Amino acid sequence: MRIARSMARGAAALRLIGLPALALWILSSAAGAETRGYAISMVHTATYAEQGNCPNGGNGSSTEIHEKILMDEGYSRAQAVKMLTGNERLLDFDTRGHLYGQRVDVGVFPTSVPDDHIETVQGAGPGHYMYGFNLAGKVTPDSFEDPETHQMVQNQMWRVLGCFTAYQYQSPSIPPYNEGIAWDTAMDSMPAWLLSISGADLSGDGDVTVTFDRSLDILIRDRRGGVLTGSSYTIDPDPRNHSAFKGHIKDQVLTIEPGNFFMQGESQFYALLRLTQTHLRLKLNANGSLSGIIGGYQPWLDYWEYVAIRGEEDSEVDIPGVYYALKRLADGVPDASGHNTAISAAYYLEAVPAYVLNRFGKVVGGAYVNGRPLNGVVAGEVTAR
Amino acid sequence: MSALPGRRAAATRLIAAVAALGVCAGLAWSSARADTATRAETSLVRLTPEQYERSIHDIFGADIRIPANKVDPGSRNDGLLAIGDRKLTLSAAALERDDVVAQAIAAQVADPRRRATLLGCQPRSEQAADDACARGFVARVGLPLFRRPLSTEEIQAYVTTQHQAAEQLHSFSAGIAAAVAQMLVAPDFLFRVERGAADAAQPGTLQLDGYSRAARLSFFLWNTTPDSELLQAARSGKLMTDAGLQHEVDRLLDSPRLESGLRAFFTDMLAFSGLDEDPGFDTLAIDAGFYPNFTLSAQNEAQEQTLRTIADLLLHKNGDYRDLFTTRDTFLTPALAALYGVPLARSQELGGAVPWVPYHFSDGEPYIGILTEVSFLSLHSHEGRTSPTRRGKALREIFLCQKVPPPPGNVDFSLVQNTSDPRYKTVRQRLTAHRNEPMCAGCHKIMDPIGLSFENFDTAGEFRTTENGAPIDASGELGGKSFDGVQQLAQLIRDDPATTSCLLDRAYSYGTERKPTAQEQTWLVRLQAELTRDGVRWRDLMRRITLNPDFYTIPMSAAPLSAAAAH
Repeated sequence: MRIARSMARGAAALRLIGLPALALWILSSAAGAETRGYAISMVHTATYAEQGNCPNGGNGSSTEIHEKILMDEGYSRAQAVKMLTGNERLLDFDTRGHLYGQRVDVGVFPTSVPDDHIETVQGAGPGHYMYGFNLAGKVTPDSFEDPETHQMVQNQMWRVLGCFTAYQYQSPSIPPYNEGIAWDTAMDSMPAWLLSISGADLSGDGDVTVTFDRSLDILIRDRRGGVLTGSSYTIDPDPRNHSAFKGHIKDQVLTIEPGNFFMQGESQFYALLRLTQTHLRLKLNANGSLSGIIGGYQPWLDYWEYVAIRGEEDSEVDIPGVYYALKRLADGVPDASGHNTAISAAYYLEAVPAYVLNRFGKVVGGAYVNGRPLNGVVAGEVTAR
Repeated sequence: MSALPGRRAAATRLIAAVAALGVCAGLAWSSARADTATRAETSLVRLTPEQYERSIHDIFGADIRIPANKVDPGSRNDGLLAIGDRKLTLSAAALERDDVVAQAIAAQVADPRRRATLLGCQPRSEQAADDACARGFVARVGLPLFRRPLSTEEIQAYVTTQHQAAEQLHSFSAGIAAAVAQMLVAPDFLFRVERGAADAAQPGTLQLDGYSRAARLSFFLWNTTPDSELLQAARSGKLMTDAGLQHEVDRLLDSPRLESGLRAFFTDMLAFSGLDEDPGFDTLAIDAGFYPNFTLSAQNEAQEQTLRTIADLLLHKNGDYRDLFTTRDTFLTPALAALYGVPLARSQELGGAVPWVPYHFSDGEPYIGILTEVSFLSLHSHEGRTSPTRRGKALREIFLCQKVPPPPGNVDFSLVQNTSDPRYKTVRQRLTAHRNEPMCAGCHKIMDPIGLSFENFDTAGEFRTTENGAPIDASGELGGKSFDGVQQLAQLIRDDPATTSCLLDRAYSYGTERKPTAQEQTWLVRLQAELTRDGVRWRDLMRRITLNPDFYTIPMSAAPLSAAAAH
C-alpha cells in the first residue's frame, strides 16, 4: 500500500527523472519511515472575540486604560483626554506604582498598585466559543466550547485578555496587535522554531512522532514577507529546546498525546514558551503547510512578563491589571500551598515545509509541498531524544 | 571661464565640462590630422560600467567609491552588447552622469589622505597650485586612464586646469581634483579609442598599434584597463612581435583576473543585462503573488550562481564548455536552495556575506546544467507564467546563434495568455491552439518544441509536474531529434556542433567588438573542428583567439570613426 501510494505520487515525475530515480524513491519509501520538517512561521495567542464577551464595554486600549487611571486620580474625562492627547508617553504611566514611598515601575512591581479588576470575558458553557483543549479532563464551570471541535475546553488566558481592544480578532484572521508586531520583528533575528513529524506513512492516518526544536538559523522570508517554503534549518543541539510527543494523524489532522513543551525564543514576546499538558491540533494543508492550535497550562507569570517587557503603550493592556487577573484566574499546576502557578492557554500556530538538518548537515526532516518531497529525498525517521 | 570664490563644486564642474569639450574638439582635430598620415583613430568603443569601475579601482585603488554610473542600457547587436558598444553615442544624460561620477571620484583621489600615495610628490603649498608636482601626476595616471601616453600638449592642458582651479579656489587638492575630473570625462577615457595603420598585406584592413592591442587584449581577457607590464610591452614594441605577444597573452591567461574577463563575456552572451525583449536582471520583474519563493535574494543571486558555475567548470576545473549543459555541479545560497527545493546547511551569520556553498545535484534530481538554472528559467519567462516560446527563442539565439524573427504586429496572443481557459489547461495545449494560426506557426515551430521541455520548471525555476492539475508533457524535438524532458534536451544541446560554433563566434565577436570577416569565419570553422576534437576549453580558446593576427585588425568598412560618439 505504501509503495503503491509512493508510485502514484511519483508517476508524474517518472518521465523526467527516469526509472533509476524512481526505484530509489520506492526503496527509500519502502524503508517504512519518513520525516517531514517545518519551520514555524507564526505563533500568537489564539483569539475568538464575539459580541457579548465583555458586557461592560471592555478594557479598551492603552489610551482608555490611561484615561481611567487619570480619572481615578480625580480628573474629569475631558481633562484626561486633553492631558493624553500627544502626551501619553510623557506622562510616564509606567512608574505609577508606589513602594516604600518611592514611585516604581508597575512592569516590575505590579502589586505596587491595587487590583483594579479589569473586565474579563464572561460566559461559559456551550455557545461560548474559544479555542482550547480539555486540559482538566472534565467540563469545568468556566469551560468554553471550541469552535472547531465543539468540545468543552479550558482557556482562562482568553478570559484575562479577551476584553482588551488589541485582542478583538478571531484566529486565524490576524494576530493581536502587539504580538503581530513582536513576531514580525523577531522573524528577522530570532532562531527559528522547528517542528518535525515522523511516521510510517504521513499521507494517511496513523501514529507519528512529533518533535519541536529550536534552530541555529533565523527564518528566511519569502517575497511577500512571510516565511520561505523549502528553506533549510539546522537544529540547535541544546536539549532544553527539544520536545517530543507521540502523535496521531487522522483525516489530515495532527494531534499529540499530552506532554511538556519548552522553547526559548529571542524576542520581547515569546522569550520562553513552556507548557505542561501540551495539546496540539494542526491541519495538514494541501499545500504542505500546517495550521492550528497548540495549548496547555502555561506559567502565568511567563505571559505577564511578555506584556510587562513591552510596556502598556506597546502591549495595549493594563499591565498590573493583567497580573492580578492572571493570578486570580490561573487554573493549573498548583504549588504546595495550593495556589495555581499556571493558566490554561491556547496559541494559534502556522508552519511551512522546511528541511531540518542536524548539526552535521544531515537532513533529518524533508520538505514536502503538495505531498511531494521537494527534491525526491525522503529522510529517515527522527526519534525522540 | 571664471568661478566665484567659495563655489568650489560648481567651479570644478564647470572647469571639467569646458575642458572636456576642449578635449573632444582636440580629438576630432587630431583624428583628421592623423588620417593624412595614414594612421587613424579607427573607432571608438564605449567602456561598459563594469569596465569603468574596474579601471578606476585598478588605477586609483579598490577603496574608491564609485556612484552608480549605468545610464544608457546599451544596444545589443548580433547577440552582444559589446558589438553595440561600438555604435554607442554619448547621450546628454550619460555625459551629465559621467560628470557627476567623475567629480565624486576626483574628490576621493585628491583627498590628502589618499593623495600621499597617488601623487608621488609633496606640493609646495596646500593653498596654491604646483604645476611641477601636477605634471608628473597627470603623466603617470594619464597612461593607464587613456591606455596610451599623453602628449606634451595634453599634459599641459590638464596641468593648466589644475593651476586655474587651485589658484581660484586656493587649494592644491581642488586643483588636482579638477584635473582628474577633466580626465575622467575625456573621450579617451570613456571610450577605447582604437588606433591603427593601413596594412599593406591586407588592403582595406587596419592593423592596431601596440597600445590599442594592449587595450583590446586587456579588456577582452581581464575586462579592465591594461596593467603597467602590458603598457610597457606596447611602448617597447614587443606586443607587435609574435614572441612578445605570446608572452603577454600567456601572462594574462595565467592571472586570476582572467575570471573577470570570463564573467564579463558570459554576462553579455547570456543577456544578463540590457533592455531586450527579455529583460536583464536589472529590470526583471517576477510576480511575487504567484512566486513568493522568488525572493529578492534569489533574484540577485541567480546570475551569480550561473557565473560561478561557469567559472568553476571552465577555469578552476579547466572543463569543456559543452559540459555546462550537462553538469550537475553548481553553487547555491539559502535563498536559491529553497527555489531548487534542496536542503542546504547555512553558515551565514546575521548580516554576514552571502554564503555560497558548492552543490551537486544527484541523478534523481531534475536540475541539470545551466539551462535549468534559475537565471535562464526566470529571465525568459513572463511575470506570472512561463513562456516556452521565450525559452525556446533564447536557447536558439543565445546558445546556438540562430536568429528567430520577431512576431508580426497584428498577432492575437489572447489564446496563449488566458491561463484559466478550461479547454487548455497546459501551455502546451494553448500554444498548440495558437499555432493553428498560419501566421504564427512558422516561428513557433522552431521555438516551442524546445521551450516546452522546460515546462517542468515554473517562472521562478521551481520544479513542478502539473499545470492547472494537468500533467506536464516535457517532450520535444530539436533538429529532427526527439527527446523526452530537459535532461535529454541538455545532452542534445551539448552534442550539437552549433553549440561550439556559437561560442566561438560570440567570443571572437566580443573580443573584436564586431562580426568576424569572411576570412576570420574560415579560421573559426577550422578552430571549431580542432576544439571539438580536443575539448572546448576556455584558456585554450582565449589563447588561440588572441594569438590570431586577425584579432588585431579592423576592416576599414566595419567601424568608421563615429563623429557622434566623439561628441
